[in-house]
Amino acid sequence: MEESVVISNAFHHVAWGTPISIYFWLVGASAGSFVISSFGWVFGIKRYKPLALVASIQAIVMLLIVPILLIWDLGQPWRFFYLMLPAFWHNTAPMAWGALLILSYPVSMFIYTYFVIKNNQRWAKVLGIIAIILALSTHWYTGVVMELNPGRYMNHTALAPLLFLTGAFISGIGLLILVLWIMNMFVAPEKRIEWKLIEEMAQYMMIGIVFDMFLLFLEFMQTFYGAESTFIGHEIVLMELFRFPYLWLETVIGLVIPLLILVSPLKRFRWGVVTASFLVAVGVYGMRIWWVMGGQYMQSFY
Amino acid sequence: MAIEINRREFLKLGAAAAATAAVCPHLAGAMELKLGGNDFHQLRTFNPRKRKPYLCTLCPWFDGGFTYAEGGKIKKAEGNPNHVATRGKFCSKGLASFFSASDPDRILTPLKRVGARGAGKWQEIGWDEAIAEVAGKVAAALDGPGADTVCLNEGAFKRGAMSRFMDTIGSSSVLYSRLPSIGNAAKQEAQRQMLGVDFALPDLEHTSYLLNFGANIFETAPPLAQRLSDAVVENRMKMVTFDVRMSNTAGRSDEWIPVFPGSDGIVALSMANVIMQKGLADEEFIDNWTNYSSSDLAEHLAQFSPQMAEEASGVKAETIERIAVEFASARPATVFSHNGVSFHRGGRDAEMACILLAVVTGNIDNRGGYCLPRHFDIGAPQPAPESVAKGVRLNHAFPFEVKIGTREVKVLFNHMSNPAYSSPAASMWREVLKDERLIPFLVEFGPFMSETADLADLILPDVVAVEREDLASSPTALLPWASMSKPFIKPPGEAQDVRTTLQKIVAVIDADGSRKMKQYWDFASPAEWVKREVEATPELKDGYKKLKSKGVYPNYGKIDSTGRKILSKGSPVVAPYRTFEKSGFPTPSGKIEIAAGGEKTVVLPSWSGHPRLSTIKPGEFVLSTYKVAYQSLSRTSNLKYLAELWHANPLWINKEVAHELGIADGALVRVTSDVGYLVTRAWLTNGIHPQVVGISTSVGRTAYGRVARADADERFPFAREELEDQDVEHNLWWQDSGTNPNDIIPIAIDPSSGIQAWNDTVVTVTPAVLGDEYGQIQVDNSKHLAIYKELQDQV
Amino acid sequence: MSETSSGKNSIHPIHPHRRTYGLQTPATKGVPGTKRYAMAIDLRKCIGCMSCVVACKSEFGVPLGVWRTWVKVADKGKYPTTRRVFMPRLCNHCDNPICVRNCPTQATYKHKDGFVLQRYNRCIGCRTCVVACPYNARHLVPEKRTDMNLPTLVVDKCTFCIHRVKKGLVPSCVQACVGGARIFGDLNDPDSEVAKLVAKEPVTVLKPELGTSPSVFYVGADWEIMDEPQSYKNRTAQIRAEFNDFKRNHPGDAFADVVEGESTMYWVGKNMGDFLASIPHKASGVIGNLKRLIFG
Ligand SMILES: Nc1nc2c(c(=O)[nH]1)N[C@H]1C(S)=C(S)[C@@H](COP(=O)(O)OP(=O)(O)OC[C@H]3O[C@@H](n4cnc5c(=O)[nH]c(N)nc54)[C@H](O)[C@@H]3O)O[C@H]1N2
Ligand SMILES: Nc1nc2c(c(=O)[nH]1)N[C@H]1C(S)=C(S)[C@@H](COP(=O)(O)OP(=O)(O)OC[C@H]3O[C@@H](n4cnc5c(=O)[nH]c(N)nc54)[C@H](O)[C@@H]3O)O[C@H]1N2
Ligand code: SF4
Ligand code: SF4
Ligand code: SF4
Ligand code: SF4
Ligand code: SF4
Ligand SMILES: [Mo]
Repeated sequence: MEESVVISNAFHHVAWGTPISIYFWLVGASAGSFVISSFGWVFGIKRYKPLALVASIQAIVMLLIVPILLIWDLGQPWRFFYLMLPAFWHNTAPMAWGALLILSYPVSMFIYTYFVIKNNQRWAKVLGIIAIILALSTHWYTGVVMELNPGRYMNHTALAPLLFLTGAFISGIGLLILVLWIMNMFVAPEKRIEWKLIEEMAQYMMIGIVFDMFLLFLEFMQTFYGAESTFIGHEIVLMELFRFPYLWLETVIGLVIPLLILVSPLKRFRWGVVTASFLVAVGVYGMRIWWVMGGQYMQSFY
Repeated sequence: MAIEINRREFLKLGAAAAATAAVCPHLAGAMELKLGGNDFHQLRTFNPRKRKPYLCTLCPWFDGGFTYAEGGKIKKAEGNPNHVATRGKFCSKGLASFFSASDPDRILTPLKRVGARGAGKWQEIGWDEAIAEVAGKVAAALDGPGADTVCLNEGAFKRGAMSRFMDTIGSSSVLYSRLPSIGNAAKQEAQRQMLGVDFALPDLEHTSYLLNFGANIFETAPPLAQRLSDAVVENRMKMVTFDVRMSNTAGRSDEWIPVFPGSDGIVALSMANVIMQKGLADEEFIDNWTNYSSSDLAEHLAQFSPQMAEEASGVKAETIERIAVEFASARPATVFSHNGVSFHRGGRDAEMACILLAVVTGNIDNRGGYCLPRHFDIGAPQPAPESVAKGVRLNHAFPFEVKIGTREVKVLFNHMSNPAYSSPAASMWREVLKDERLIPFLVEFGPFMSETADLADLILPDVVAVEREDLASSPTALLPWASMSKPFIKPPGEAQDVRTTLQKIVAVIDADGSRKMKQYWDFASPAEWVKREVEATPELKDGYKKLKSKGVYPNYGKIDSTGRKILSKGSPVVAPYRTFEKSGFPTPSGKIEIAAGGEKTVVLPSWSGHPRLSTIKPGEFVLSTYKVAYQSLSRTSNLKYLAELWHANPLWINKEVAHELGIADGALVRVTSDVGYLVTRAWLTNGIHPQVVGISTSVGRTAYGRVARADADERFPFAREELEDQDVEHNLWWQDSGTNPNDIIPIAIDPSSGIQAWNDTVVTVTPAVLGDEYGQIQVDNSKHLAIYKELQDQV
Repeated sequence: MSETSSGKNSIHPIHPHRRTYGLQTPATKGVPGTKRYAMAIDLRKCIGCMSCVVACKSEFGVPLGVWRTWVKVADKGKYPTTRRVFMPRLCNHCDNPICVRNCPTQATYKHKDGFVLQRYNRCIGCRTCVVACPYNARHLVPEKRTDMNLPTLVVDKCTFCIHRVKKGLVPSCVQACVGGARIFGDLNDPDSEVAKLVAKEPVTVLKPELGTSPSVFYVGADWEIMDEPQSYKNRTAQIRAEFNDFKRNHPGDAFADVVEGESTMYWVGKNMGDFLASIPHKASGVIGNLKRLIFG
């Protein structure tokens, strides 16, 4: 057998790191909880109306952190507005679109929330539709930003936006359940959100988990069965260096255990649902870590 | 000992040869870009930069080039494109060399030690005080115990001002850490005996076969490397390298043949034998041009059978035979050998065996063969003092001589050498240099805080290469050349050319002129010194102006668009060959001297194994040390771009052997020689002979500064704010700074040439034990001393 | 915004008065009447001397830890039939560059003669292009460098030495190449050395499947050293250790260190800490820049 070793010490940096992975997570969770918020006002599922405010506030808060995080992560933070200058605008760059989305999505959400507070069904619905499209686009685009790098083998898959959206959905719900659970402890009994509703949300989350696992399996098949590049990426990068976020955090803690809880009698216990929600929210962050850094890491030696 | 060559003759010959040569195909056609000779600002303005000739003195190849400056600062160095040898190419070291001018850790004022030797406490003093102190000590020695108690340890590649100073005061105690010329002592000795010249130049550009023994051409000989690399493609040359490990040269050769250390001599002899036996030798050439007949030679060589060589070297007899036949059948073919062959006991004989291969195939000074060197001997400015120190004495024995009291030292000068790091038994050097009773006064003439300077009593800061007026010539091309260096900038701080410093010292020693020393130091500036050197070199007589403006003389022509040919009036300049046909060889007999000595006691090329090496046991290894392409022993230590490329020197060990020993890749290991051990990391590789382990030189620094020590926070107390480099301060990323192997390498001298047998060290390699730390070195100097005494008993 | 040719991060003055809009100028490879500068690297002649690397670093004062060009080295085969291969690397000046397509501010753009270049004054340092480039050709310049008049904290890369080429000189790395392996010229000129070499010898480019249409051609490349996953897989322990040092000690990487042998989560936590710690520091940078903007 031929052997070969690379012995040069010219290394390369991983360009996007923790702030980007946190940003992906926040955007996702924001979009996910906004979807729930829109159930009542946009899709007319009345029993979700009491949730809407909490959910949209949560979405707004999370999304407000995002630009700060992103801007501080730029090499030239004070130039962030260049992204919006018409003369600089570049329509082939996902990032340019992303910047627009990240700005317009919270604005539409603000207005939507205003009408929710004002109890204006008509305008809340209109704004809600706009906001939900923007919410989904915002998170869809994070997948696209990674996907449209054909050189980053592990990210270059058409599944990326879907994976991101599914992750967003479940982590958004998970986080919302946590928030509601905490809120319920402090507010007056009549203002508490019904536990049944939370259980129902947990059901949605479960469906999301199953779908996410399915996508993950597709992704796994592709990397494992496919070309050498993705295979090595999977074998060595994910299963070694990023084993914790990939295998343990995302797959086991974030998907398998919550799923087991939610299909088992444990789901009847409140702590069961809450634990599952917590694990899902955290687990999705695991995916954001390996997704952002793992793909780049392999190139450090190239 | 350069061959006398008349430049006219060269040009004439060149033109004649060119008339028949086909016009280079690349000449017609495209508008190619120029290969160099100018430089521009890299951003916005694209302003042109000023240019001055520059001579790189980091290694004995003395490549000529240019420096470019902007705003009073040197921005770049590069090779001179119209230089016959350099052809525009500098190696990475040469390219980075100008950074030493702005090395924040360099020494810029005379420093006087306060506190104990080596404690690192210094005081800045004025030049007058420093010069008075040195002059006083020298004068006291001259008036007292004698001039010879003033010693010089010299490492410059060119005999220069320091040895002139020694001649001026009449001291013969000049020791060299390296030859004051190209090559090494064993190779030089072999060349001199056989061919009457110091060095030989394989005509790699035109050869079709290269047999290379222990020379790492691609890493250590860039002027040759560029020609070799051309030949690989242009001539489809075959290249076979014998080396104990896979150097870049070995790794890029058509065949790398791992050979047992120190056995190249017998391999070469057996090849010569095969060539003679198969009738492939150029018998006519042997009979006409050597002092030994071909039939006698064949008879003598018959004893060196390929089987015998196989036994000693581990190289299969069939392989040896095959290569011998290939080599002898290829025309032209050439051979080259260097430290791998020389740095063993019997190194000179082994070198002779290698040269013999060129001789028996008649590949001597022919196109594509093994050529005689062509360079100019740079004369000393006149009037010059009479030379007191005859010949070259290498410095390995010096600390031992001092230690056991056979040499008395009052003053020791150190110049361009760093024995406390780069000599064998470096730990012994440090012990002796630290001892004020043995070395009462140690003066360093140098710009850097080397491991040796660290132990000095007084440091007199010299300028660095880009700040120096200089002149040199080196046999790196088939047409002789001389190159000049014209500095742009004044050295920062109070650094001053060593020639000026010495001049001032002489002026104090010989204040009243009674010692008759001042006459030899009567020049206005280093620039005038160089001018007088030109005047003292007949071949350069009318070249001073050209040297000053173009940097190189003679100008044979301009480089073509491929960068490979120097063209004069549109046709390539070609060197004359077979120069010996006119004037014979510069040996006593005028012929190649295969047989040395008188009629009766004929000494013929032969080989005897090293008893220690040939009996090594399993678990023992021969330690091989070597140079890497991007470091030059101690001269490049603090240059960030080079250190970034090479800062660690893990122990190369054969993969399978390491597995047997239970040593994993990256594991800490102890490398133990007869005198002590060092702890380093194992680098498991398929590129090394199973009985050899390798450690590179040039790293493992305990001095020089932040880059060399990979410690950005370790600031030198006199570091200059204006020279500070934020890049180093903030971006230096590596931590591993290697280990120096020279403490555990005991002295071992090849009796025939005096060279240190660097690669004869036998070591054991074991996994590190608890408590061993990376980089730890533990040596018993009394064992070093015992080995020296043993060595003396043998002589 | 009109382009200026003054100021610290000003435009590379290719056509000071012409706006190129950052969109890709049409591919020029083989288009008559256009220039297409390209480099051919004849690996049969590369001796691994790193002169090109040092020449390039000196030319631009490239900070430690980042590279415009670098040379990969690999040992191949089993003892005693071992060989060493080299592969110099640099920006491919792709005819269809992903980095340009992905840059949100058109800071990186394609020049009509084939260069892919940076407008430092537009670059926001988002590093999208760094992630996009399949060849690792780009880097974020760290905050500190030797010559602080040169751009910092923006992305930089090999410029094919346009400042020299426009003045009739070959790039610095070509000038310095001891082995004579690097050959530079106009690919569209059939008489140029580079065009001849590319026509005559079997050449490869890196990752041709990505459709970037690189303009750096290799003669005699070894597949294993060309291959990204192989480089990751086949590292020695020493290289891993050095890489860890690199990750730990280089500020350019503050938010993305993942060090082998230690838990990813530990580093993620540490990175967040670094990130938070950098905020006041960056704020002062912003204030400083605002000051400079306002008061000149
Ligand atoms: N980059 C760089 N270039 C330099 C210098 C430098 O410091 N750095 N220094 C200059 C000087 S002063 C000199 S003397 C020359 C030296 O130039 P070289 O002689 O080329 O260099 P070395 O590394 O000393 O040794 C050459 C090779 O010998 C091998 N070797 C060791 N033992 C044996 C053996 O028994 N047999 C064989 N066949 N090979 C063996 C080593 O593995 C090594 O690869 O280089 C000059 N050029
Ligand atoms: N283990 C091992 N050891 C070896 C070798 C080996 O192969 N293996 N090789 C040996 C060989 S071949 C040689 S030639 C020797 C070389 O060994 P030395 O002759 O000792 O040379 P260096 O160690 O390079 O030290 C050069 C000194 O000059 C100083 N210097 C640099 N530039 C200037 C300048 O411009 N002016 C002045 N005044 N000083 C300057 C540097 O700071 C440094 O202190 O090493 C030998 N050591
Ligand atoms: S080979 Fe390199 S270090 Fe030696 S003289 Fe030439 S440029 Fe300088
Ligand atoms: S190599 Fe990378 S940086 Fe260079 S043009 Fe291609 S995609 Fe852009
Ligand atoms: S880092 Fe600069 S050049 Fe790269 S994509 Fe962002 S703005 Fe464009
Ligand atoms: S072309 Fe210029 S910028 Fe690019 S690698 Fe070569 S020297 Fe560096
Ligand atoms: S300078 Fe030329 S020969 Fe040397 S490493 Fe670079 S490409 Fe290879
Ligand atoms: Mo040497």
